[in-house]
Amino acid sequence: MAEFDDIIHQPLRLKIMAALNALPATAGLEFSRLKKLTGATDGNLGAHIETLAKAGYVAVEKAFVGKKPRTTVTTTAAGRVAFARHVATLQEIIAGAAR
Amino acid sequence: MSRIDPQQAASALSDIDSVARRVRQSTVYQLSSLLIVMWGVLVFAGNIASFLWPRSAGYIWIAVDVAGIAGSFVVSGFGRTRTGIRSFDVRMLTAFLLFLAFGFFCTRGLAHFTPRQLATFWPIYFMLAYTLVGLWVGRAFVAIGLGIAALTLAGYFLIGDWFEPWMALINGGGLILGGLWMRRN
Repeated sequence: MAEFDDIIHQPLRLKIMAALNALPATAGLEFSRLKKLTGATDGNLGAHIETLAKAGYVAVEKAFVGKKPRTTVTTTAAGRVAFARHVATLQEIIAGAAR
Repeated sequence: MSRIDPQQAASALSDIDSVARRVRQSTVYQLSSLLIVMWGVLVFAGNIASFLWPRSAGYIWIAVDVAGIAGSFVVSGFGRTRTGIRSFDVRMLTAFLLFLAFGFFCTRGLAHFTPRQLATFWPIYFMLAYTLVGLWVGRAFVAIGLGIAALTLAGYFLIGDWFEPWMALINGGGLILGGLWMRRN
């Protein structure tokens, strides 16, 4: 059994981080696209993005395109490191069980 | 801090893999769809122009290819500002030119095609590429490739003098609709 980051481990936050980490470092995902990819509701997704932002793992940028508001979420450098460490921990747990 | 067992860890890794795959596919679709719609418009125009001025068809298709390559760089630049990913670069251009060169070698070097055969060969040749690429990057490419190829062959065998307008509709129109459909997905 191993210990790791509770912030990333929550299922929806794990999906958010997985989605953002699948993109190049500078690229972000719009809220609507992130909602489709994770299958989350507006409120749930917003709350979990806020948790990740408070931890410094994601950056949220709000802008207006014409009259429409657009929210874009991007991983921070700290978020990428934390996610990589989390994935490594998961792999270690599986490898440890196979030994 | 929590503790989890190997089964939960495997399930989490599987979730990560599944989401990452969907993101990559959705990004490919988002970037490719703009290129496909742009090529659809050009191909539609190329077919209509070839129908109206058949003697200039060779020049018309060269112009379509040049405009398509230039437009691909513009669309790719636009996509890069939004996603950070370049969808059309020098490597893609090289692949495209090699693909064209092989097509020319087949249609001019190895054999001499009639205009109607040429107008059939190029779309099904390109749709073969769509279908093959689709085996790796997503089923939408396979659907577009096979659908347009089948309708092109149907036109070749069944449509008489209205073959070019038919090709404008199913090749140009097919790419535009396919690109928009891909964008929705």
